[in-house]
Amino acid sequence: MEKEKLEALLIEYIDGNLNETDRLQVEQELAKSDEAYLLYEQLRQVIQLIEKSEAIEPGSKLKQGFDSFLKTEIGSNQKPKGKTLFFQSNVHRIAAGVVLVMLGISIAYQVNKNYKQEQELTKLQNEMNATKQMMMAMLDNQQSASQRMVGTTVAYKMDKMDDEIVSALAKSLNEDPNTNVRLAALEALSKFHQELGVQKVLIQSLSMQKDPLVQIALIQLLVQMKEKSVVKDLERSADDPVTLKAVKDEAYSGIMKLS
Amino acid sequence: MKTAEALMTDELIMEAVKNGDLQQASVLFERFHKRIFNFLARMTMDRELAEDLTQNVFLRMIKYRSSYREGNRFETWIYQIARNLFSDHYQAHKNKFSGFIDIEKVSDKVADHEEGAQQEEREKILHRSMALLSEEQRELLVLTRFQHMKYEEVAILMETSVANIKVRVHRAIARLREHYFELEKI
Repeated sequence: MEKEKLEALLIEYIDGNLNETDRLQVEQELAKSDEAYLLYEQLRQVIQLIEKSEAIEPGSKLKQGFDSFLKTEIGSNQKPKGKTLFFQSNVHRIAAGVVLVMLGISIAYQVNKNYKQEQELTKLQNEMNATKQMMMAMLDNQQSASQRMVGTTVAYKMDKMDDEIVSALAKSLNEDPNTNVRLAALEALSKFHQELGVQKVLIQSLSMQKDPLVQIALIQLLVQMKEKSVVKDLERSADDPVTLKAVKDEAYSGIMKLS
Repeated sequence: MKTAEALMTDELIMEAVKNGDLQQASVLFERFHKRIFNFLARMTMDRELAEDLTQNVFLRMIKYRSSYREGNRFETWIYQIARNLFSDHYQAHKNKFSGFIDIEKVSDKVADHEEGAQQEEREKILHRSMALLSEEQRELLVLTRFQHMKYEEVAILMETSVANIKVRVHRAIARLREHYFELEKI
């Protein structure tokens, strides 16, 4: 019998999946051929070993990381959901309208308005600071690349960036050992590419990057930004013998588009 | 008595997550994180890396929840995310991949008696033999043999026929046998 066919039959025999005819055929083959019997024994041992192999238990940081991310995600989804619920029905909409009209007539709203605005601004500022602190701690977590990924995701969702966040993301972009984190940091920075500080970071990063995936993504972004000052750096990358072909191609394409 | 959550199918829970009930994602995490972790640990041969990738699988599940199509099997969808993440990681690091596998990084079990020590030794050879398989063959064996996924489910996941999966699994086991008994001689 051909070896591949015999192997297939033996595996099905060990798994107990053969019909009566095939089972008898295999047993006859095993009885008359020592070679087939050895093959059967070895396959049986390997299959049993896999069966006996126990599941590997993950560490507790996996669940902690997930819980932390989920909490952040739920937090960032709650605000718009609350507003939608409040104004969900027409009755609520009308009631809200009436209340607003009454307020407009009866209250010296200028005074209140200033006061309320100030309170809301303080509340928003506090929330932003809390989110920022949490994000900075995640970006700085040396133990877990996943946590740093979550940090960059939070940064991406922020409405504005300050110098502290930009420099934390720049550090991730240039120094993080994990490619995914570096790419995510680039994605977060790209959202604010119109800001001068971010532009400076992106331009400086081009000469520092060694990872081809990040180099390509960065070149594409700088070309999209029409950042002509990077042409010299692109020329250097394209001429560098250690640069990968895919990066060189991207650099040449960038030079052509920017020149 | 079972809770309402325990009675809900994975698909119904994922639909709830998709519709904004993010808290339900933790039920799916509880149901699937060990299997996904084991899949990735046996694919990467590195438990720390597998933990990071597993974390990313569930982050993507939440981040890209709107891409889950109602009516599709959740298990297939989450495994597809895990396969894509592994593939991305492998592509990004293939230049650095040395082929050297540190088995101690996969399992943290310690043998406590002679029979246990022998079993431990056999498992080490098994893991080394797995590492010698092609990525595709290793994946087939992890899914069908270590994770007991049915050929039909793997066929859907890999977008091919059941017969094709069956033939490929047979070949993978045959190859594994060759590697195992070659390594055992050393």
